[in-house]
Amino acid sequence: MATRRRFLKGAAALGFAPAIASAQGTGAGRVVVIGGGFGGATAARTLKALEPRLDVILVERDAVYTSCPYSNGVLAAVREISQQQFRYDGLKRAGVTIAQTSATAVDASARTVTLADGDRLSWDRLVISPGIDINWTVLPGYDEAAARKMPHAWKAGAQTVLLRQQLQAMDDGGLVVMSAPANPYRCPPGPYERACLIAYWMKIWKPKSKLLLLDAKDAFSKQRLFQNARAREYPGMVEWVPLSKGGAVTSVDPATLTFFTDFGRHKAAVANVIPPQKAGAIAALAGVADRTGWCPVEPVAFESTLRPGIHVLGDAAVMGAMPKSAFAANAQAKVCAAAIVDLLAGRTPVDPTLINTCYSLVAPDYGISVAGVYRPDKGVLAEVPGAGGVSPLDVVGGYRGQEALYADSWFRTITAETFG
Amino acid sequence: MRLWLLPVLACALAQAGAPARAADAPPGASSCTGCHARTTIADSVIPRIAGRKADVIATAMVAYRSGAWPSSVMGRIAKGFDDRQTAAIAAWFAVQPE
Ligand SMILES: Cc1cc2nc3c(=O)[nH]c(=O)nc-3n(C[C@H](O)[C@H](O)[C@H](O)COP(=O)(O)OP(=O)(O)OC[C@H]3O[C@@H](n4cnc5c(N)ncnc54)[C@H](O)[C@@H]3O)c2cc1C
Ligand code: HEC
Repeated sequence: MATRRRFLKGAAALGFAPAIASAQGTGAGRVVVIGGGFGGATAARTLKALEPRLDVILVERDAVYTSCPYSNGVLAAVREISQQQFRYDGLKRAGVTIAQTSATAVDASARTVTLADGDRLSWDRLVISPGIDINWTVLPGYDEAAARKMPHAWKAGAQTVLLRQQLQAMDDGGLVVMSAPANPYRCPPGPYERACLIAYWMKIWKPKSKLLLLDAKDAFSKQRLFQNARAREYPGMVEWVPLSKGGAVTSVDPATLTFFTDFGRHKAAVANVIPPQKAGAIAALAGVADRTGWCPVEPVAFESTLRPGIHVLGDAAVMGAMPKSAFAANAQAKVCAAAIVDLLAGRTPVDPTLINTCYSLVAPDYGISVAGVYRPDKGVLAEVPGAGGVSPLDVVGGYRGQEALYADSWFRTITAETFG
Repeated sequence: MRLWLLPVLACALAQAGAPARAADAPPGASSCTGCHARTTIADSVIPRIAGRKADVIATAMVAYRSGAWPSSVMGRIAKGFDDRQTAAIAAWFAVQPE
């Protein structure tokens, strides 16, 4: 009885009819979306645009979203953190109900989401796009307190600002040490873009400084392009230590800003740990994450293979060959929204095709990209053979500058499509 | 009837800055709008394609695919679509609000 009262109160508090009356009432149904990032906000907006009769509720913890894409430019002092920030007014204008709070539990069989204050929302379909959480249990020495000394800056916001402040306070000649994790993780080319942009900044402001990138891999996205650019733009400034040369970090000591590997130790003036990650915590609570920490989904509507009725998007999901990027999360969200509209109307969604493109900046006027086209094949999203690939290695004239301009237009386009 | 309704719909969608109407969109089309904006993006250097003639879009895609037209990224993307898929996407963009 008490539960039921809370339940009704929750629905009323958010300003819609009692949750329990969902689908049957309007004939269109209710979709709750957890997480207002590139995946979730795009899904909520697209659902409402495709089927205005749908009740669409976006549950997002923060009032302001801080975008990771382009946040490496904040570290290089070519952008301000405010340029990374987006509010949810555009979604409200589009008719999406915003519940600014955390989702704390999901009941897949009762089809409800519990919010931080104990209120509950019912749904006909649930979309979860919670991004990543840091996996604090796997790198000895690296916990939440350590992240205040050795920031990850892999969730943009206060961490990004902290790392930038540390860089600016560093003495000229200081050593910046970064560590990159094994796959899979958010934004495969991100660590290399970051290393280059920090080097770009050091070249101007701390010309005696150097950067060491300890990597738990031997190969990475756009590798030759990055390596050529590094050699040309930042000769002698950036050293990359791959797995086979002792790059895997086995523990860190936040008190002395030291990284330990099987081959030795590296003491930093500024330390940036890009740690191992997993799907945002709500995914495990909802029962859609498996033992790897990520969420398996089918490749058409991105419905969980563990919990029917729940769709998982973006970084949290295992999307076959598609990388964990904002471009991909946005593309998946549009496909998922259309599929949910079909499913609620009793239609079978058709096999989708998706595109991903990740632009990286080696310098503010030097852009490179990797693209791919994806279709379901044997139960997973597979890369379409013959399509996609990286920017050419040898180019003339203003090619890299042009790609940097395209990258900037892309960022403004995708954030406008996502947040309005 | 449908044709007469289109401009009205077009206005409504443009004002809302709505994301792509993906429901009736052929496979692949909803991914294009991540770069080719539905709304006007100030100083965007990526060309608008919504509302362009279908044969103009399809011709460009085929030329990018073969390499007859130079491109930074479109060649890599266009290679993921055959003639039929390309024609469906081109036809869909042609009726989207400009
Ligand atoms: C440095 C860096 C650079 C990057 N550069 C690029 C780039 O150039 N291009 C690119 O395509 N991608 C880039 N990425 C990757 C991109 O940021 C992610 O892939 C993208 O944000 C994934 O979107 P998402 O919706 O899965 O998660 P997110 O965007 O992280 O959104 C998740 C949202 O869910 C909310 N949330 C989580 N749990 C709950 C809960 N329980 N209740 C309520 N709300 C919750 C969070 O507050 C957050 O707003 C970069 C990433 C980094 C770190
Ligand atoms: C990653 C961003 C990106 C994506 C995704 C993308 N495009 Fe493009 N498009 C571009 C850029 C950049 C150009 C300019 C040519 C170039 O350098 O590749 C362009 C050019 C074009 C042109 C030529 C327009 C003109 O006026 O010259 C057409 C047509 C086009 N794209 C269609 C599409 C279609 C259809 C899709 C989806 C299947 C798509 N594009 C996806 C970035 C993108």
